[in-house]
Amino acid sequence: MLKRIEDWNYYELLSVERTASQDEIWEGYQAALSTYKDGSLALYGLVSEVERGLILERIQEAFQTLRDPDKRKEYDLALLRHAPYFPPQAPFRKSVGKLEIEEAPPRKTLGARLKRLFVKNP
Amino acid sequence: MDKRIWAIGGGKGGTGKSFIAANLGLHLASLDREVVLIDADLGAPNLHTLLGMKAAHPDLGDFLTGSLPSLEAAAVETPYKNLRLVRGSENILFIANLAHYRKLRLLRQVRQLPAPNVILDLGTGSSFNTLDFFLSANPGVVVTTPEPTSIENTYLFLKSCIMRVLKLYMDHYKIRDLHQKMLDQIEKNSQSLYGFFKSLMETDRSYGTILYRALRGFRPCLVMNKARDQEDVLLGRSVADVVRKYLLIDMKYLGAVPFDEEVHDSLRALRPYYPDHRNSAAAKAIRQMSEELAYSIEFTLRTPPEIRLPDA
Repeated sequence: MLKRIEDWNYYELLSVERTASQDEIWEGYQAALSTYKDGSLALYGLVSEVERGLILERIQEAFQTLRDPDKRKEYDLALLRHAPYFPPQAPFRKSVGKLEIEEAPPRKTLGARLKRLFVKNP
Repeated sequence: MDKRIWAIGGGKGGTGKSFIAANLGLHLASLDREVVLIDADLGAPNLHTLLGMKAAHPDLGDFLTGSLPSLEAAAVETPYKNLRLVRGSENILFIANLAHYRKLRLLRQVRQLPAPNVILDLGTGSSFNTLDFFLSANPGVVVTTPEPTSIENTYLFLKSCIMRVLKLYMDHYKIRDLHQKMLDQIEKNSQSLYGFFKSLMETDRSYGTILYRALRGFRPCLVMNKARDQEDVLLGRSVADVVRKYLLIDMKYLGAVPFDEEVHDSLRALRPYYPDHRNSAAAKAIRQMSEELAYSIEFTLRTPPEIRLPDA
């Protein structure tokens, strides 16, 4: 999604999924710190010193919020209200055709029908 | 046929593009896969040397001048099974300033080569020829090293690619007046690309959407070559992350290839590195990279994620 860096949410700042565990958040935080640290080569020729400072502040803010379960829950709720989240790993059906086949009741075979006719409590 | 065309490029010379191309080719060939390596470095070809071969004819120049009927005829056998090479041309002046129609012919023939794996070794810089070869591959791999000059040129190279992609679409949709606007705006600062799209969405949302989709369809990969420690490995990940955030393109980090003094020794001995150093850390990294690249076919072909229009 096309966004200003100021508009990135905390998960995007740390480059983690919204379902990230505490360990993943810690890893994302460490990676973000190394990317935006003073004198980082990764920013050379692209990101100014002022921008770097601003992002680093937001990274700290993001980590402080996401590491605290209560604050994170509150933040997630606010985020959900703003933009619904669909986990990328969510199982989904590829076609409507398949959906119909999977959800259709099992076919009644001749054997099953006869069984039902002759056995009172199958 | 499941065809793979990989282009190995980058903004700076000496990062090891030809080394990566040659050794990827050697690795794939050792897996019984038919590979054609093309030395598309139009200014300074030397892929043959990395394979322990001498400069000779036929070469790419023979095909481009019409002496050979097809690119296939320029692909010569190498001492390695399943690996063929299209040597770079010795006629540097002619080749480096390749005419547009010759370039299109070359690109068409690359796609028509009967080999399932084609690896293009590109030259340094951001000439239209180099950029077009890079953009025609699926995917293009940018090789960089952990030095400020190399990182800086990587960003410049990617910016050039982005501008080339956008220009091609602008030409196609006959919105050439936007091109100058893009050139003026994009050089300003790190968020200028965002600024360009934002203002375009406000003035003409439909063209903004087309161009943004085109940009998201460009999905290069990154390799950090000559990594000396863990910090260098992580630097590659940081660069890919910065590219995703600031240049708005979905870049995949393939991994780092460790620095190895033996590479220099192999070069001096005019012997390819991979067959003699299969158990080295660099060879392992190349093997892993080829697996990642094989997977990245799906990565580059699937619909880019997060295509959601910004609110104008």
